[in-house]
Amino acid sequence: MATATPSRSVDPTRGRQAVAAWVLALPFMALFLVFTAGPVLASFGMSFTDIRSADMRTPFAVSFVGVDNYLDLIGNPLFRKVAFNTVLYVVLGVPLTMGIALAIAVGLNRITRLRGFFRVGYYLPVITSIVAVSVVWKFLYREDGGLFNTVLSWVSIAGPGWLDSTALALPSVALMSVWRNFGALMVIFLAGLQTIPKEMNEAAEVDGAGGWKRFRHITLPMLRPTLLFGAVITGIGYLQFFEEAYVMTHGGPLDATRSVSYFTYDQFSFGNYGLASAASYLLFLAVVLLTAAQFRLLRSKD
Amino acid sequence: MRPRKSLSTAARTAAVLVAASLVLVGCGRSDDGGGGGDKAEDSKAIAEGPAEGSIEVWAMGTEGEKLGEFAKAFNEDNPDAEVKVTAVPWDGAHDKIANAIAAGETPDVSLIGTTWMGEFAESGGLDPTPEGIVEEGDFFPGAWGSTVVGDTAYGVPWYVETRVLYYRTDLAEKAGWSEPPKTWDELTKFAADLQAKGGAEYGISLQPGQAGSWQSALPFAWSNGATITNDDGTEYTLDSPEMVEGLEYYKTFFADGLSQDRLLDPGELENGFAKGTYGSFISGPWFTGLVEDAGLKPEQYAVAPIPGKDEAPGTSFVGGGNLAVFADSDNRDSAWKFVQWMSQPDVQQDWYTTLGDLPAVQEAWETGKLADDERLQVFGAQLDSANAPPAVPTWEQVASVIDSEVEKAVKDASPVDDAVANMQSQASSIGTGL
Repeated sequence: MATATPSRSVDPTRGRQAVAAWVLALPFMALFLVFTAGPVLASFGMSFTDIRSADMRTPFAVSFVGVDNYLDLIGNPLFRKVAFNTVLYVVLGVPLTMGIALAIAVGLNRITRLRGFFRVGYYLPVITSIVAVSVVWKFLYREDGGLFNTVLSWVSIAGPGWLDSTALALPSVALMSVWRNFGALMVIFLAGLQTIPKEMNEAAEVDGAGGWKRFRHITLPMLRPTLLFGAVITGIGYLQFFEEAYVMTHGGPLDATRSVSYFTYDQFSFGNYGLASAASYLLFLAVVLLTAAQFRLLRSKD
Repeated sequence: MRPRKSLSTAARTAAVLVAASLVLVGCGRSDDGGGGGDKAEDSKAIAEGPAEGSIEVWAMGTEGEKLGEFAKAFNEDNPDAEVKVTAVPWDGAHDKIANAIAAGETPDVSLIGTTWMGEFAESGGLDPTPEGIVEEGDFFPGAWGSTVVGDTAYGVPWYVETRVLYYRTDLAEKAGWSEPPKTWDELTKFAADLQAKGGAEYGISLQPGQAGSWQSALPFAWSNGATITNDDGTEYTLDSPEMVEGLEYYKTFFADGLSQDRLLDPGELENGFAKGTYGSFISGPWFTGLVEDAGLKPEQYAVAPIPGKDEAPGTSFVGGGNLAVFADSDNRDSAWKFVQWMSQPDVQQDWYTTLGDLPAVQEAWETGKLADDERLQVFGAQLDSANAPPAVPTWEQVASVIDSEVEKAVKDASPVDDAVANMQSQASSIGTGL
């Protein structure tokens, strides 16, 4: 709209254009206000009250408790544990997902034969349902008769109950998520790799740069915006992890796989709407901070 | 220009938020009792005569599917009434009822899970049970207890379920047991013998914490005299020597390797029981069907009451469903007449024949099919000695605290008395919500 007025002289059609613009924008604005902005503001307000499910008939007859819900969460040992679990999950999951996706994308970028076949193969887990995948992996991880332990038993190693151990359960769930998610990133990275001009690599090769040097000094810098995008969407996805733990471990053993989202879900089902809203805003804050950090780390230096 | 603009947007957003908070500050609770301030005085008697008009009923699961046809019999004595049943899936039923109460758009009657009673009654959504509709003494005491919130009854027990000991009679005989165990010492010996002589991989299967494990752990504490709340349900009384001793005993099964210590997948228990992996377990009446579907012959297993600590009978868990009338019902009197009809012993027997739900009315067990079925009589006997969880709005949350502390105790992550003290302190800070 702003670009439509090159000079300061008044355009006679301008007023009508503005009206048309507002009329066209109105349906979306109305829907957005009622169904998105409204609930978001309401839940933000709720996070400062002691509202519970029993208050739903009289939602305004609740007490304002300031930041008590936030303080309660920070002081709650279970919340600190689930926050730690979530961070661990992100730290394990995001670099591994990106690393594998990048390695496979670089590999696939080199071959011409069967590229489509491999691309579909690696992408397939992404389009399957998380719940179905989780149920299947739960059986793969089983102590007796699970696929992993059966394979380990061929080399005479007695595998543990992967999901029954407090130390192994979270990494096991993270590993499954990596397997499920790297395909999407691989496709994005592959597209990014194809935008890098061949001439640059050829010129570097003529100058005597080896494979690793070319990857380090040409591919990675050129891929930086794509890597940033990948890191942001993967980070957000991993911070919100819930279904995997819900299906595979119910958050156990001993809360080892309970995430912030899981905790929030529990609090909502206990009817602690105020506390649950506060927990979701803390998670939102974590998403914002992580994304800001990634932008700082990976933005192009120009 | 741009930074200024985004600043002013931020300022405007902040202003909206502050305004919203101020609105909320202006509100505040009218009294500490929360939503349902106008309890007790509301329980006025219902009108005489037959029911009339349309009575809208929600029921979950198979109950919802079968009740519509079944309720036609109600019309014989109440020709002017029409019962409309809506089947609601169990998943999401809780939220659907909560939303209906919040919006004031409720049906007249609904099946309410026993553990939801506290929450819905406290929100002011349920009508207190009028005097003279039913007699408290006609019902199993534990089932009736699940309807009482504070000191007012909301609704009437419809059907019940309780947990008993299932065991493989063939394996038990091999291990030298012709009678089921009756005391704690015997139960330990029984499980050990099933494992050592009976050929079971685990003598018994108990839940090592997580998702509803309080239902299998608390009966041992109850049998030992432990309580969850004080008599008027205002305070949690979890931290007691009886609770510690009960859980210490529960823990021995895992420490001695008599029970598996991982969470079983759905279907694993009944199949493992049929294969002889687990010699015994504790569960509800629906398992008779499950184990027989898993290939076990009826003569291969039996049920027995929960063993008590010594000679006294053990205390089990009682669950089930209640029928409640909503405070917003447009046809309150007729709705209560329908609930009253559902509580008649012969109607309860017919309902058992229709669906297999165990009657909450004691008299229904004394004649007919139920009286002849030996296995069901064990459940009937157990119901005389069974506790319901307290009907308080925060029960689900406290139950999950108990679940996770039981898990810590069983898996040796913390000593039993610490786990019990932890249960108490968390439950106290959650409060009963009444």
